[in-house]
Amino acid sequence: MDRDRTSTFLFAIVDNLIWVIVIVAFLFFSLVSDRFFTLFNLLNILPRVAALGLLVIGQSFTMTTAHFDLSSESTLGLTAMVGALLVAVASYGGFGIMMPPGFAIALMILLGLAVGSLNGFMITKLRMNNLVATIAMLILLRGVVWILSPGKSVSFLGPVFDWIGGGVLFTIWAGGKPTGVPVSFFFVLVAFALAHLVTRYTRFGRHMYAIGSNREAAEAAGIRTQRVIFAVYVISGACSAIAGLLAAGRGDAVEGGLGQGWIFQVQAAAIIGGISLYGGRGNLLGALGGVLFWGILESGLSIMRVSPYAINVFRGVLLLVAMMLDAFKTQYLRTLATRRLSARSTIGMADLNNLK
Amino acid sequence: METMVPATVVSLRGVSKSFPGVNALSDVDLDVHQGEVHGLVGKNGAGKSTLVRVLMGLHEPDSGSLEINGHRFSRITANEALAAGVAYVPQHVSMMDSLSVAENILAGEMPVGGLGLVDWEQVYAQAADRLGKLGLDLDVRKNVEGISVAEQTMLAIAQALFRRAKLIILDEPTASLPRIDIDRLFILIRSLKSQGVAIVFISHHLEEVFEICDRVTVLRDGRQIGTWPLSELDLARLTKVIVGENIHEYVRAVRERASDMAMQISGLTLGGFYEDVSIDIAKGEIVSVCGLQGSGAEALGERLFGLERRGIGAVRVGGKEYTARNPKEAFAQGVALLPQDRYRFGIVGLRPIRENITYSILDQLTGFLSLLKSVKERQLVKDFIEKLGIVTPSQNQSVRLLSGGNQQKVVFAKLACTRPRVLILHDPTQGIDVRAKLDIYRVIDDLSAQGIAILIISTEVRELVGVCDRILVMYEGRITKEFKRGDADTTPSNILLAIEGGHNAGQ
Repeated sequence: MDRDRTSTFLFAIVDNLIWVIVIVAFLFFSLVSDRFFTLFNLLNILPRVAALGLLVIGQSFTMTTAHFDLSSESTLGLTAMVGALLVAVASYGGFGIMMPPGFAIALMILLGLAVGSLNGFMITKLRMNNLVATIAMLILLRGVVWILSPGKSVSFLGPVFDWIGGGVLFTIWAGGKPTGVPVSFFFVLVAFALAHLVTRYTRFGRHMYAIGSNREAAEAAGIRTQRVIFAVYVISGACSAIAGLLAAGRGDAVEGGLGQGWIFQVQAAAIIGGISLYGGRGNLLGALGGVLFWGILESGLSIMRVSPYAINVFRGVLLLVAMMLDAFKTQYLRTLATRRLSARSTIGMADLNNLK
Repeated sequence: METMVPATVVSLRGVSKSFPGVNALSDVDLDVHQGEVHGLVGKNGAGKSTLVRVLMGLHEPDSGSLEINGHRFSRITANEALAAGVAYVPQHVSMMDSLSVAENILAGEMPVGGLGLVDWEQVYAQAADRLGKLGLDLDVRKNVEGISVAEQTMLAIAQALFRRAKLIILDEPTASLPRIDIDRLFILIRSLKSQGVAIVFISHHLEEVFEICDRVTVLRDGRQIGTWPLSELDLARLTKVIVGENIHEYVRAVRERASDMAMQISGLTLGGFYEDVSIDIAKGEIVSVCGLQGSGAEALGERLFGLERRGIGAVRVGGKEYTARNPKEAFAQGVALLPQDRYRFGIVGLRPIRENITYSILDQLTGFLSLLKSVKERQLVKDFIEKLGIVTPSQNQSVRLLSGGNQQKVVFAKLACTRPRVLILHDPTQGIDVRAKLDIYRVIDDLSAQGIAILIISTEVRELVGVCDRILVMYEGRITKEFKRGDADTTPSNILLAIEGGHNAGQ
């Protein structure tokens, strides 16, 4: 009995590993640097990785159904570039039409939806392999971004973009001095809350998990798997467009390489956050943990003035460690299950084989 | 002939093997002689595969001993068994499909010419030469995926012989073959026999066992019922031995047949699978369609669930024309199917019981903003868990952690939720233990009492006799015989005989 209780406790820890990791990282940086644990810095951890967070949301949707959207960083680059071109004045690289920002943002999101629909169409209707199709889009869209790019960064995007990417929602007084709470801090939290709601508490979310866990059984249960998969790509496209808005606003400038190479960080954050590579497992709260961890790491290491090259070494090592822990977790789950199964009497061979 | 005792290639003595909750084999003796084709028969779950896995060194027996070519083993590893000359040819041979026959034969020992490059002419010549010595004529340049199933089986046998196999285990080699290919395969088997190779022939097709085997060993529930020379048996006696007599696993109370029809099938035909099938199933009636693999019974089930759209004929459900083209439409029109392969099509293993039960009715459980009504869902799932007696610590348990019987109950619950008029059950008791089987039949009985018509596709005749109102036998795509509940000739062995022999049998 006791052994069972310890194993359940251990299991709970293993299952929520990401939060253990987040807390450890948090404590570590708080101890080694006195500039890490300040209100200002804490409030700016999430905004630092806001755009990344939106990409992780999109990726979590596709990964839950056992699919990937590797094109999302290019979708981010494309939507950001288009938005910037529409609002910036000609002398700062824009088209000079100076479209009202509301329209521009709507167009950016439509563009994201269109890219997502195209991905979804190729994967569900043309039955193309999702990895290859989205890699092709990754390359293609980045090419389009460079074609559109005026050769210098498109900047001064106006107050609306600025407010979303780097503005202050309200100010709190702590310790006698004002500290701004960034808009993007809430933006990311709200986005994750919405995504969590959809995946956890709606029919659509149920369908996503069913498809990722066993697509054939999902189909046999009457779930229209193709539609659901199409929809997750559309959602991923929209998330990438919103990420594009956040990224453009944060820098108040867009250049052709914006977002390039982010997809690996997106994957890493999602996986560390417990979203399974094989689908059907993980949740958006864990993914938020993954993003937060990435933010802590960025913030902590840059405060400590670690060289950017060394930061990459850190990132790589941590991803490996996370994967190792994940492999351990899977194996642990299996041992636990086998032990529980053989303790009962009504078990046949098929049951044990099924656990493989 | 009688005085000459042929050498024994493999001999098992008192082999037993059990798994948690199941005695897979108890005290089995088996001798296979040189140049003998030894039949191994029994129903699904009788212990054939466990016996084969012991022979191959994949299962270590709990007790008993194994002798191969005079070498005695108390335990044997897979490599030792292979080295001792035991070879296994599965029903679906797995080879390097996209490579040529020759490459499959010579893999690992490809002849090379100058510069270390493969000498392809040599490859083809050597491969053809080796096959020729066995009397096999295959196109060695063709890719394996391009040759027929029978040829693949023969190629696998040839590969076993190249590795100097003394004993070849053929697992259902004829199940999906047309007669002409069966003949080719049998010619090869007879020629191996004359060369002194021992063969274990596993099959559900008893006529073929009579045709090719010298002796037959019958297993039932892990026990060896006996071993006989086939000259001492006939089909009727063999089926009797396989089934066992008059042991009903579950006996249902007799009910009046309702006059309302739940499903009317008329003239359903799909070329190559089934022809002119007409069945009327009344509300609350339990009907079974029995047939061997390839008889068309399984294809019929898939068609009725909308997984197969081709073919002609009409189906009416509850008086209305039935037009489902996919599972969702089938559910909507009142038909649900319990798939044969529970792990592939039945359960979503990583997800909890609660989600698994409600997948097909989420439409009815969503409210404002399409959010799920979780209170209602929990209550519904709780009811099913109690009603079906699903043993689980909670609704949140992953289905893959349940026992087979409980997993099957979860699938039943999922289907019952959709309130079908007709429930098609494909091998509902496959791979679950005896106690859980009784539970499953009780569930089936309850559902039929609610007026749901039940169509069972299965060959577990001993179980069906106690449960079904009517048992229809399908043979080569046609319904050839009907057994009614309570009739004197409705016995498991008569039914099995009809399944085996079609029209001519038993007369």
